[in-house]
Amino acid sequence: MKNFLKGHGLWVLFAAAVIAVALAVMSFLSTTSSPLANVAGVLSSPFRSAYTAVATWFNDKQNYYKDTTALEEENAELRQQIAKMEAQIRQAQDDSEENAFLRDLLGLQTQRRDFVFENARVTERSVSNWASSLTLDKGTNYDIAVNDCVVDATGNLVGIVSEVGYNWCTVLTVVDTSTSMGAQVFRTKDLGVAVGDFSLMGDGRLRMDYLPADCQLLGGDLVVTSGLGGYYPSGLVIGSVEEVQKDDSGASSYAVLVPEADLDSLTEVAVIKSFDIVS
Amino acid sequence: MLARNETIFKWCLYGAATFLCFLAQGAVFQRITLWGVIPFLYPVLAAVVGTLEGPLAGSIYALALGVVCDSLLPDIIPCFYTLIFPLVGLCGGLIAKGLLSAGFICSLVSSAAAFLLTDSFHCLLLWANQSAAWEAGAWTMVREFCVTAVLVIPVTLLFQAVFRKTHVYD
Repeated sequence: MKNFLKGHGLWVLFAAAVIAVALAVMSFLSTTSSPLANVAGVLSSPFRSAYTAVATWFNDKQNYYKDTTALEEENAELRQQIAKMEAQIRQAQDDSEENAFLRDLLGLQTQRRDFVFENARVTERSVSNWASSLTLDKGTNYDIAVNDCVVDATGNLVGIVSEVGYNWCTVLTVVDTSTSMGAQVFRTKDLGVAVGDFSLMGDGRLRMDYLPADCQLLGGDLVVTSGLGGYYPSGLVIGSVEEVQKDDSGASSYAVLVPEADLDSLTEVAVIKSFDIVS
Repeated sequence: MLARNETIFKWCLYGAATFLCFLAQGAVFQRITLWGVIPFLYPVLAAVVGTLEGPLAGSIYALALGVVCDSLLPDIIPCFYTLIFPLVGLCGGLIAKGLLSAGFICSLVSSAAAFLLTDSFHCLLLWANQSAAWEAGAWTMVREFCVTAVLVIPVTLLFQAVFRKTHVYD
């Protein structure tokens, strides 16, 4: 190599200078890029395209990943917001129902100032075929006691508390066979005893016994609690007369009553914790 | 004859199976009304265990079941199930011992007897309470049994599984 440069160095230098001058002149005279640059550009063009394509692909992927991650986060956040809003809507519906119930109850409270109410929700319905019962979500923690009367929002009698626990109580409805309370026909003032009858319980009915044989009751007559004896408050609507029949002895009549409270669809009730005994 | 710890294990398993049935009754069957009545599993439990375990053990199990039922279900008298379920267990045990060998048919017959006893007792108490309803009571009994009869199969399978697991060498 050393010998080659010693022998031909000048020639090589000369050739290089000529080529350089020629290229300089050509590029000066040419309106496009120099041939060398052109060749280099042409040769490197596919590589550049490839690099660009790869870089674009990576950028796309990176952006896609970033976008996806951001969208997923946003989606999760929106889902949470929707869940919260749905919960708020449910709460609002519950509040609205409770509000309507309390408005009705307020009317009753205005009529009967001696009543002390405790609102409760129905958590369970009849648990056997031989009793008609409801379970409520309040008990001794709200001073509810056995034999308290339970009414719906408009003051219709639902039943009587039969058993109480700390945060629950069982109510036997007016159609249950255990029901036995003084009753009075509102229009005629006839007195009798409202009793549950198993034969009628399945149809959601009860009886009013010991009515006078010549009683003049009409279908639809309201029957209310008489309050006699002071066990239960007076004036609570038990139901309305459906039919009147003579009993087997013929000495008295009995009426079949339809409860005014809709026992199958109750969700909220009020327990009457105390009342004034009317003598 | 099972060892003491095996006996304890067996009754724990029976307890767990009973708990499962209580869950099913409370969560599902109580909310289904068919033919005007709800399926009522508890007498079936007393009867089926009676057929598998015999009159004595069956009666004791049914007594415990009755106590639990009385604490959960409202009824005419507070000790209704405690009084009647031991009879149901005894009846199931006697049927399995002398009439039919334990199995589905035996469980079905014992369950029919269980509903007959339980619901007759209901009618008797209503009569004693001066609100007799024999006809309505009998009709309720028939419907209650028909609606619950189909559930005798899963209950029998469940308790038979416990019985087989705990009586491997019998």
